[in-house]
Amino acid sequence: MHLAALRLRDFRNYARLDAEFKPGFHLLLGDNAQGKTNILEAIYLLATLRSFRGVGGAQMVRHGQKGYFVGAGMLARAAHEIKIYWSPLERKLSLDGQPVRLLGDYLGTLRAVVFCTEDLQLVKGTGRLRRRFMDLLLTQTHAGYLPLLQRYAAALRSRNALLKLPASDPRALEGFTRQLVEAGVELMRLRRDLWPRVAPLAREAGARLAGPGETLELVYQPSVRADFAVELARNRAREQVFRSTLLGPHRDDVQLLLDGKPAAKFASEGQKRSIAIALKLAQAEYLSSIHGAPPILLIDDIMGELDARRRAGFLPLLDRARAASSQVFMTCTEENWPRELGRDLQRWEVKSGALRPL
Amino acid sequence: MPLPEAITRLSEALGRLPGIGPRSAERLALHLAQSDADGVRQLAQAIVQARERISACKICGALTEGDTCAICADPRRDGAILCVVERPLDVFALEKAGSFRGRYHVLGGKISPLNGVEPEDLRIAELESRLAGVQEVIVALSTDVEGDATSFYLGKRLAGKGPKISRIAHGLPAGAGLEFADEVTLSLALEGRRELAP
Repeated sequence: MHLAALRLRDFRNYARLDAEFKPGFHLLLGDNAQGKTNILEAIYLLATLRSFRGVGGAQMVRHGQKGYFVGAGMLARAAHEIKIYWSPLERKLSLDGQPVRLLGDYLGTLRAVVFCTEDLQLVKGTGRLRRRFMDLLLTQTHAGYLPLLQRYAAALRSRNALLKLPASDPRALEGFTRQLVEAGVELMRLRRDLWPRVAPLAREAGARLAGPGETLELVYQPSVRADFAVELARNRAREQVFRSTLLGPHRDDVQLLLDGKPAAKFASEGQKRSIAIALKLAQAEYLSSIHGAPPILLIDDIMGELDARRRAGFLPLLDRARAASSQVFMTCTEENWPRELGRDLQRWEVKSGALRPL
Repeated sequence: MPLPEAITRLSEALGRLPGIGPRSAERLALHLAQSDADGVRQLAQAIVQARERISACKICGALTEGDTCAICADPRRDGAILCVVERPLDVFALEKAGSFRGRYHVLGGKISPLNGVEPEDLRIAELESRLAGVQEVIVALSTDVEGDATSFYLGKRLAGKGPKISRIAHGLPAGAGLEFADEVTLSLALEGRRELAP
């Protein structure tokens, strides 16, 4: 699978960009604030319909313009054409000229994994970010996951709205509780099945990055211990006080342990960075193993910050991507690009919202 | 040159109709403004008449031109079976299928806490007052979260009041192969399986 063409209109600092890409390794070179990361952001947006910088649509519109357009030509087993238009009043998403009605039908058209400085928050930040990581991984690998997650979220919102009413019919609450439990139990089952498959990949990647002797473990921590329905019923009094659903998959977390100790507390900054990268490497390898082809790798300026050993830990994945004619997009400033990556790089210069092959 | 105000106003009104976007609305408005005046007058009258004549059936809540709808007035319909639906439109859909011989009850929506719709905003009390002589209530609501929660609620609220409560099966569309069904539909179809006659 590769991105053959990218078209941007009024996206970030690009008034207009039409670029064609071959499979392989693309190095986007340029000074800071020229628009290197914006290209990665556009590709990630095509894959997930979100920005990896955690911002909404408005921030991606070029200053003073009404809306942005991102279009792509994909080559996988078949050719696909994707178009995204966003403005505060209008959102359009089409695949091969047809408007997309169900997100689940669209996601998976383009799979990408991003490596960026924000990844550090996977280790340091709140459970919300680790849940999102888990949800993205399952959405990218399991066709039924997204509709289930949406159904759970709908049941949760409705149930919370009922809990906020001064008085409501207990049978109505029970009706929504049942929907919440049905979807929630299935979500937890899929999440529980996921980690035994991803954790070994993360452990190996962690060992490659940090060297032997440091063992990374991932432990799924559901907020429900055994029986969702029973535990919800037990929490009813507390729910009435807080007027909100206090347990369920929306409170799940994944514990990251380094040599048996919680990484967020005990790991050094350097170790935390390695763990974040190991998680992303595990994501990329898991996607490759499920789909038989590596995802598009988007690497934003992190190679320059890594020492030689950690860079070397990256190389097996990049080699595999190359062997499978997948694509890697990496941003760098001229002075710190990793020369050990070899010769067959396609180098591009990014300068004030324009892209030029070097 | 901007469009004349009368056309903009018409196009705004048309744009509020379901399924009509800003561009279609403008095209329709321009078309109407240039059409034969008699035809347009007839259309306007038809719209006003439809609105004035149509009201909700006093018994079931479906759309009718009189006090009671044709189905509630039809003595050949089986009064022992009531089919509960969300909207008047659903009655037409089921009638088109042509296999249901009982009567209907339109709830007027589903329980929707996010839109401030609570059980008492629906025609559930009216449903309860119709239960005398009814043997079965078939709940035929949508299968989204709110529809399913409302079905569950009705099951609880009507339990022990006499009639048997059932809900329509969810499953594969007729004539479709398994490979085209989504996973939710497939698992519902599995859940709702029935024994084959020996």
